[in-house]
Amino acid sequence: MLKINNLHVNVANNDIIKGLTLSIKPGEVHAIMGPNGAGKSTLGYALTGRDGYQVTQGSATLNGTDLLDLEVEDRAAAGLFLAFQYPVEIPGVSNMEFLKVSVDSQRKARGLETLSSSDFLKRAKAACKQVNLPLAFLKRGVNEGFSGGEKKRNEIMQMILLEPVLSILDESDSGLDIDALKIVAEGINSQRDGQRSFIVITHYQRLLDYIKPDFVHVLADGKIIKSGGPELALELEAQGYAWLESYDRNAQEASA
Amino acid sequence: MSNWLAETIHQAEKIDDWLSPKRAQSLSLLKSTAWPTRQTEAWKYTPINVIERAVFKSANDPQIQAEQNSCSKIPNLQAIDLIFVDGIFDRSASTQLLPEGLTISSLSEGADLSWALSSFNQTKPKHHFFGLINDTLATQGCIIDVAEDQCIDQPIRIAQSFSLDSQSHTRILVRLGKRAKVTVIEQLQGDQLSFNTSFAEYQIADHAYLEHYRLAMQCEQAISVGGCHFHLGTSSQLNSNLIGFGSQLSRVDMDIIHTGEHSNAKANVIYLLDGKEVFDLHSAIEHTVANGVSEQNIRCIVADRANAIFNGRIHIHRNAQKILAAMNNRNLLLSDNAQINTKPELEIYADDVRCAHSATIAEIDDEAMFYLQSRGVNRGDAQVLLSFGFINELVDQMNNAAIAQWLRPILRQRFANMEIR
Repeated sequence: MLKINNLHVNVANNDIIKGLTLSIKPGEVHAIMGPNGAGKSTLGYALTGRDGYQVTQGSATLNGTDLLDLEVEDRAAAGLFLAFQYPVEIPGVSNMEFLKVSVDSQRKARGLETLSSSDFLKRAKAACKQVNLPLAFLKRGVNEGFSGGEKKRNEIMQMILLEPVLSILDESDSGLDIDALKIVAEGINSQRDGQRSFIVITHYQRLLDYIKPDFVHVLADGKIIKSGGPELALELEAQGYAWLESYDRNAQEASA
Repeated sequence: MSNWLAETIHQAEKIDDWLSPKRAQSLSLLKSTAWPTRQTEAWKYTPINVIERAVFKSANDPQIQAEQNSCSKIPNLQAIDLIFVDGIFDRSASTQLLPEGLTISSLSEGADLSWALSSFNQTKPKHHFFGLINDTLATQGCIIDVAEDQCIDQPIRIAQSFSLDSQSHTRILVRLGKRAKVTVIEQLQGDQLSFNTSFAEYQIADHAYLEHYRLAMQCEQAISVGGCHFHLGTSSQLNSNLIGFGSQLSRVDMDIIHTGEHSNAKANVIYLLDGKEVFDLHSAIEHTVANGVSEQNIRCIVADRANAIFNGRIHIHRNAQKILAAMNNRNLLLSDNAQINTKPELEIYADDVRCAHSATIAEIDDEAMFYLQSRGVNRGDAQVLLSFGFINELVDQMNNAAIAQWLRPILRQRFANMEIR
């Protein structure tokens, strides 16, 4: 489904991602862990096409479509979704309007008919309830005055409504208490249908107790330095990243 | 002197009523005041020469087709309506039955109200040229009195519409007794060539609360010059909302005078201008005593060859300490030929105050743009959504849900018709 090959990303004249290769099949959940500054968020921004995140080398395709060649909104229409680490507040634009325009835009781009208002309202209410936000949040400005946890749940609500084929969740667990964490995890799990895939970026093993990943990758200094199954996350939790970096250095020295 | 002014003075000299002593003062001032030109600072960007060029008739003139009031109804407002057509009070179309504690009289009935004469011209600045015109010519209008401790739940809507070639001058006097509470809506509509001046003076006594709306929605050929002037007592509150659609000339002066401590005034202003429209707001906040709070948010969207003028003055008097004053003016230009003339004027004579002002030509926020695009919304649609959100944020802040709900689609439609070029 998603194929990233030897990706290099430059931000403000700094190389952040330096040769990342990753392949994700339909239905898989991949966790990406790694120390601060490793390039985890940069990966999400580069794939979604944020200005200033320049791909200097490599490729990324989603179901055979070259993502890097598309406008931001066309990548979304192709089925890519990024749950932001810091969702943006847009006062004056109601959450409801924002969601309706988003869903309509994507449906149009995919050649589908737009939903009737009542149909959309039904879906929006259901999604809102699913992430345990009061319905009043649909009428409020996008993320305006939401708490950190409410913003994260609002991201999951958008994901539920937009039905992307590949979701990148950028620290969707950060700043959440245990109840909110469960709600977010359940929201994500409800979307796992064996076809849709997920990249879960996180610092902590905790989230992975609730979202069982198929693979865990460690990203450090712009590269995946180790991949494994869920047990790798437990090892990291127990030993930290320092262990890995020395491991990696030793390996490099051995191969040199 | 222009013919128009000569005729105005001639008309004014014939008026004889309870306001005559006040009119005489203003008339003598008017005679010694020069017709404003582009060199007159307060009228620098305002094309008032259009008034001289046109010929208007008063509503009594048989050639004026006095129609019914054409102001849009505001659904679910359930207001006490005061209806004016070309400046003439239409009693039969207005609400007759008033709640307890509320007295409404037409301006001509003011002779019976001792407070009305002493309140007249106490809040409006003396030297406003068209204010003087209004002083001398306004024989129609209304006087609203809310008794002490009365909370009037029903909003009062003063609806004025204007037909072709009409000239009208109306005056509104409002008094809120101590701890009184009321909502007053001044609605002005009409897009044909006409000329009106409409000035309103509000006295808000101690601990009283006024929720105010001026819907200055005259468009196209209409010429409108007016003002709303507020006098705030101790611990009183004003929450004002002004909507400005431009026309060939639309000018509003807003004065907020804090005369009692702990008074709090907030004014939100939306301009939405297209074509060759002009809208000019001159605001002045006077903090004459300590411990006052004032906040102004002025947001303009200006398209095509329209011209938005905002002159915002904040005057903090000597010894008026501990004042919090904020003035934010944000503008969005949709065309290279549109104009925004914004000028903050701060005069601060006290040393322990916080006074912040900003005036920006807004760009669309990059982060918000990326957020919308990442959800599949194309740049053009995102721009419309964000630009409308920019003014809708102030609509969201309106306390009267019926007005907000009525206004939103109207603003959206007006905005949708504007072109980005």
